[in-house]
Amino acid sequence: MVNEQEIEIVAKLMKIEIDDHKEYIDKVHAMIDYFDILDNAGVQDEEISMKDIPLSNLREDKHIPYEDKLIERLNNYKGTYVRAPKMI
Amino acid sequence: MQEVQNGNISAEDYVSKTIEQINNVDENLHAFLQINSEAIDNARQIDKKIKSGKNVGACFGMPISIKDNICIKDSKTTCASNMLENFIAPYDATVISKLKQQDAIFVGKTNLDEFAMGLTTEFSAFGPSRNPWNLDYVPGGSSGGSAVSVSAFECLASLGSDTGGSVRNPASFCGVVGFKPTYGLISRFGLISYANSIEQIGPIARTVKDTAFILNMIAGLDPNDNTTIDNSNQDYLLGIDSGIEGKKIGIIKEMIGEGIDSAVMSATKNAISKFQGLGAVCEEVSLDMVKYSVAAYYTITATEAGSNLARYDNLRYGYDFPVEGYEFNSYISKARRKFGPEVTRRMILGGFVPSSGHAGKYFLKALKVKQKLTQEIDQLFKKYDFLIAPTVPVLPFKIGEKIDDPVALFLVDINTVTANLTGKPAISVPFEISNGLPIGIQIFANSNDDKSLLQAARALESTVKLPEVPI
Repeated sequence: MVNEQEIEIVAKLMKIEIDDHKEYIDKVHAMIDYFDILDNAGVQDEEISMKDIPLSNLREDKHIPYEDKLIERLNNYKGTYVRAPKMI
Repeated sequence: MQEVQNGNISAEDYVSKTIEQINNVDENLHAFLQINSEAIDNARQIDKKIKSGKNVGACFGMPISIKDNICIKDSKTTCASNMLENFIAPYDATVISKLKQQDAIFVGKTNLDEFAMGLTTEFSAFGPSRNPWNLDYVPGGSSGGSAVSVSAFECLASLGSDTGGSVRNPASFCGVVGFKPTYGLISRFGLISYANSIEQIGPIARTVKDTAFILNMIAGLDPNDNTTIDNSNQDYLLGIDSGIEGKKIGIIKEMIGEGIDSAVMSATKNAISKFQGLGAVCEEVSLDMVKYSVAAYYTITATEAGSNLARYDNLRYGYDFPVEGYEFNSYISKARRKFGPEVTRRMILGGFVPSSGHAGKYFLKALKVKQKLTQEIDQLFKKYDFLIAPTVPVLPFKIGEKIDDPVALFLVDINTVTANLTGKPAISVPFEISNGLPIGIQIFANSNDDKSLLQAARALESTVKLPEVPI
């Protein structure tokens, strides 16, 4: 059983700020409680097999010219730089 | 579009009538988030091509609507989210490029649950769509706007996306055909990501033949999506009336058990009789992992969504919100308040279930359930050609009825998520109307058997005559 504090910590780590705290916590709690049904699936001994994707399936790593200046679409593009919030 | 091709009606007239229908009915239905103001001009260009004897694509100006999480260059793609309210897509999705090459006309972008997270279209930041069969009821989701637009004659076909049933569920609720192809059959390049490992773009149309026609246009390899598979340019329309005589069909017992509505159960029994009448052999089969599939599905999708939505930091995509005065993390947290409640909940879940200390209990177990479910269904397809179940175990419900109970909403997905978790193709065929509300029957096939799946769907469809939608 997870507790409210754990959910609050995760919300903070996911950079989520919420207004109606209790409502979110209660609903997320109900969802996580439902996931406990996975304990009954009897899959503990299953080995997860991964599918290999050969390198040949990937497209060639080369520059493809693009006519639009995508950087100009950014909200805080200032002509020669992008204004971001301060890091410290 | 045969009439346009034969010159009996111009593409301009046809598209004008479609736009007129949208103007007449969409105020009540809210299928569309944007209408393409250039649609009629685009149709005129196609008429010019026809008149001048130039090659014209197979769509001949066919009016198609597009779910608003698929990019069309230089048009808004909002994902029904305030976060992307003014986002203009800088490129075409591969499916859009392919349809443009075939002279389709995009009449507009359709409503959805925000970032395709939901199954009623009530979680759209711009208000819910309404079911054309009864305006008080949900149309299903998340591709609710797409299904409504087809059902209400606002277009001939639509493209939706299906992560856990988001094409088939609204198709069932709105009385139209919805198809989720084999994973990889249709490129996802240009589809705004929610849960990449299981989602697919899929057509919604009025008939199985129209569905196959659209699939012919959009399926196949794409160098921009390395999960796409080579379909050898199959013609999905060729032999679509081949029927299903002698085929073996398994009825998935876990999908017709506890909680199924009596009207849906009755429709399922009638569908089984129809299949038997068409010469198929039907037997009950078991997929034990189905009862854990919804929990596995939400665990996997939340995890992938948590990662995919991390890009929405309001620096690369977003709305006008000055950065001055904020520290980096607090700015992003504040900006993300524009996400709606369901997206916020799933981001929190997406951080929780794969996190250190919880991954073994939730995420890894979900992956194991996914794998075991795939093994179980692969075993069944060694013996059976198709599997069937009702698309949704309940009838469409009223707007607002389940919105505050996320776990009740989870269970509406129980019959659709299996196709996504296993990568198998599945289709919803409109089958009956009960109390004025549609019921769809779902057919599954083995991977890459999309063509025979469409043949089975066509066979079932040929036994059905539904009343006209009351709009």
